[in-house]
Formats: sequence, structure tokens, C-alpha cells
Amino acid sequence: MTDKFAQGGVVAVIGICTVFIVLAILWGVLELMRVFFTKDAKKEKKPAEKAAPAPAPMAAVAKAPVASAAGAAEDEELIAVLAAAVAAYLGQPVSRFQIKNYRRIDSGTPIWNRTARRDNLIG
Amino acid sequence: MILLNLFVEGITSFVNNTGLAKLFAATESSALAFAGVDFGTIIMLVISCVLIYLAIGKQFEPLLLLPISFGMLLANLPMSNLMHNVFFVGSGEENFVMDFGQILHEGGLLDLLYLGVKLGIYPSLIFLGIGAMTDFSPLIANPKSLLLGAAAQLGVFVAFFGALFLGFSIFEAMAIGIIGGADGPTAILVTKTLAPKLLPAIAIAAYSYMALIPIIQPPIMKALTTKKERLVKMEQLRPVSKLERLLFPIVVTIVVALIVPDAVPLVGCLMLGNLIKESGVAERLSKTVQNELMNIVTIFLGVTVGATASADTFLRPETLFIIVLGLVAFCISTAGGVLLGKVMYIVTKGKVNPLIGAAGVSAVPMAARVAQSVGQKEDPTNFLLMHAMGPNVAGVIGSAVAAGVFLAMAKVL
Repeated sequence: MTDKFAQGGVVAVIGICTVFIVLAILWGVLELMRVFFTKDAKKEKKPAEKAAPAPAPMAAVAKAPVASAAGAAEDEELIAVLAAAVAAYLGQPVSRFQIKNYRRIDSGTPIWNRTARRDNLIG
Repeated sequence: MILLNLFVEGITSFVNNTGLAKLFAATESSALAFAGVDFGTIIMLVISCVLIYLAIGKQFEPLLLLPISFGMLLANLPMSNLMHNVFFVGSGEENFVMDFGQILHEGGLLDLLYLGVKLGIYPSLIFLGIGAMTDFSPLIANPKSLLLGAAAQLGVFVAFFGALFLGFSIFEAMAIGIIGGADGPTAILVTKTLAPKLLPAIAIAAYSYMALIPIIQPPIMKALTTKKERLVKMEQLRPVSKLERLLFPIVVTIVVALIVPDAVPLVGCLMLGNLIKESGVAERLSKTVQNELMNIVTIFLGVTVGATASADTFLRPETLFIIVLGLVAFCISTAGGVLLGKVMYIVTKGKVNPLIGAAGVSAVPMAARVAQSVGQKEDPTNFLLMHAMGPNVAGVIGSAVAAGVFLAMAKVL
């Protein structure tokens, strides 16, 4: 009986220690990765923002547009929404940029994240 | 006359082979048979119908509970011969060895599908899908959350001890403890290896508590934190480069494999799924593992896990103990995460909101959403979701590592 508990104790101690050690090592590795790669990330990020005037968050809000100029009224409304979103995202007035073209980006966001966002919007 | 005899014989043998005959002419071998009526089977049929009701009527994790409960119903119908638990766990003899030939020759549909559980295929395939559905960037951006994911495994080891005290064997205790990891596939993988007889009880406990997370966690989170701590707004996470997101699954697989090789079937598949998604070059594969493969495996897994619930193994006091211990494990895991969150709150001088610690139990993404909603109750402008996703996905890795440790220790004990 005591033998069982002694064994159990060993298992529990080794178990919890291993879990902490493995995850702590991963933490260390990730910190290293940040040291090496964060700079690059900042450089990459800047041009990406300019190149894509309709960033991903809007893809969820905007209806999938038909490529050509079909349904002008609906289009205008959509462009207004897009312009407002871009302005909010860039923190600049709408007069500072023009929307020449837009297309829906197929979102790379996993289903879970999208569901969660939608739930948060609904409240 | 001869013709009539033949006719009567035919009818009699047909009637004797129906389920009804079996139900009302129970032999001694059935567990709960009184006066020739097999009450065990009847109770199991009632339980499965109640579970089907919970799945459809109350929408309790219906994607899992529906297949589980119907699998239970199918396997418990007398004479249906879809499932033979005896083939997999024996009938009480020591050193039972599974006879694959017998399963293939005499097994029913569910026996054959159950091989996917027994051989550890389904849990790993589910992890492949989970990997492809998971975005690890919040974790990469804030690697400290890995520790929260580790702290939230505390319940695993406490419940393990609790099970030992209640008289379970050490292997059974391991399987029960892993419920505290809040991870269905992990619990199933450990249980089918170490304590196959407890599989239905553990799977049902694990999945029910995951469905109940929004009810179980908030009171514990509120009890352990002060209002000031709950109001903490965390800094926005830094952007994570694509290179980091690509390296992450590879690095994690290597590190985990080198330390806990037994966790590799789970962690390896999780990370493969993630790499398929993050690589961006295998969109079709990514969609398949997230949707079709995941759904197919979920159906097989649910039906066959449900089918292992026979009256002999399920209608026992142990099942109740497991359900209680599972709840204890969940609560303590939540507490463990929140308490380490509090430590981090103190160490970082108030930059970490301890609520995200509760998301360290790995039920993705439910636990993170609970952290978000508890935080928002205090301050509607506080958005903890992305911060909580870090510990949440760390918890998946943490519980897979805990499972790997149990499996490794079980080999040497």
C-alpha cells in the first residue's frame, strides 16, 4: 500500500517537473527566436501595410465583392466602409489615401479565431 | 406434420435470437440480471437515450456527445454484435493479450473502428486537425504563457493522487488524472493504453467537463483574484514574423521529442498540422485536416468510445469516482493556472492579468473565451482573448507532455 503511494509520489514529482522543464526550455527557445527575428519582423511589416490598403480584418466585415463594377450603390457603401476601416487602421484621415481597387483576401485565420471574434462582436 | 415442426423450430430459433429474448432471458454472466431480466442493458439503453437528449436538446458538445451516445446505444443493444469489449480487455484474466486475428475475423463494425482508438490513431489525427486550427502566434509573442500552460497541469497530478487514495491502481490513477489536462484526445490516448476498462467513463467525464468550462471556471477565477487584478489591461502583443511561425512547430517537435519521446505521437501531429497551415503552400491539405479529416475522425472516435460503455464496465461505483475526480482535476488545474498568473502579476509589477492563467487548461478555445468574458465583466473595454490564447495553446502542449510522462513512467513501473 505504502509502496503504491511512494511510486505515486515519484511519478507525480517527476511528472510535474518534466512538464515545467519542457515548457521552460521552449520558453527559452522562443525568447532566443525573438532576439534573432524580431527586427526582421518590423522591417517586413511596414511595406506590407502600404501594399495592402484593405487589410485582413475587413475581409470579415466586407461582403465578397463581384470583381467588376456591378451594383454601384452597394459598391459605394462598401467603399465607404472600407475607407473608414483603413483610416481607423492607419490612424490617418480619409483624404490621405484613395481606394482604387479592392478584393477579398481569403482569410488565413483559423475557424476558431473567427468564431470567437464573431461571438465577441455579438457580445 | 414434419413441415409444421420445421416451421415451429424456425420460429423458435428466430425468436430466441432476437434482442428481446436476450433481454428477458438473461444468463448469470450478465452483471445486473434479476429474475431473468437484464437490467444492466436496460439501464445502459436509458443512459444512452438521456445522453442523446442532452446532445440534441441541450446542445451539450453535440459534435462529440451525439456520436458517443449513439455508439453506446448501438453497442448495448442485445445480440447486435457490433462491439465486443472482451476482445480488447479480456474477461478478467491476468496478462491478457489482444488477439488481432480474432478481432478481424469475428469483430463487428464497431470492433473494427475501435482499432483506431486502440492503436492510438484517432487521437493523433485529431491533434493534426487541432494543430491546423491553432494559431500559435499569441504564444510566440508572449512565451511566458508557456509557464501558465504548465501550471494548469497541476490538477492532473492532484487528481492522480486522489485516485490512488480512492483505491485505483497506479495505471488507472494516471488515466484519471489526465482528465485534468482538459484534453479529450490526450485523455483517450493515455486511457486506452493504461486503463482501457475506464475508457468510456474517462472520455465522457473529460468531454462533459470541457462543455461545462464556462460554468466551472469563473467562480474559481473570481475567488482567487482581486478586482484590481482582473482589471489589468495587457500590452498589445508584438507582431510575429512568418519565419518564427514556421520555426515554432519544428523547434517544439524536436525539443519535446528529445525529452519526452512518448509525447511525440500527439505533439508531433499537432505541430505537423500547424506547419501545414503556417507554411501557406499546402492550402488544400490544411483545409482537409481542419475540416473533413477532423470531422471523420471525430465521428469514428465518438461512436467507438461510446461503444466501449457496456453495463459491466460502466455501471460501477468507479464511474462516479472518476466523474468526481475529473471535476476536482479541472478545478485544481484552473486554480494552478490562476495562481501562477498571480505570481506573474507580482513579478511583472501588474502587467499580467492573472485571469489568463485559467486558460492554461487546454480546452481550446473555450478556456480562453472564458478568461475573456470574465475580464470583460469587470471592464467591457478589456480584451484578454489573444493574451489568453497563449496559455491556452501552451496547455495543449503541456497536457501532451504530461501524458507522455505518464506513458513513459508506466513502462518502467
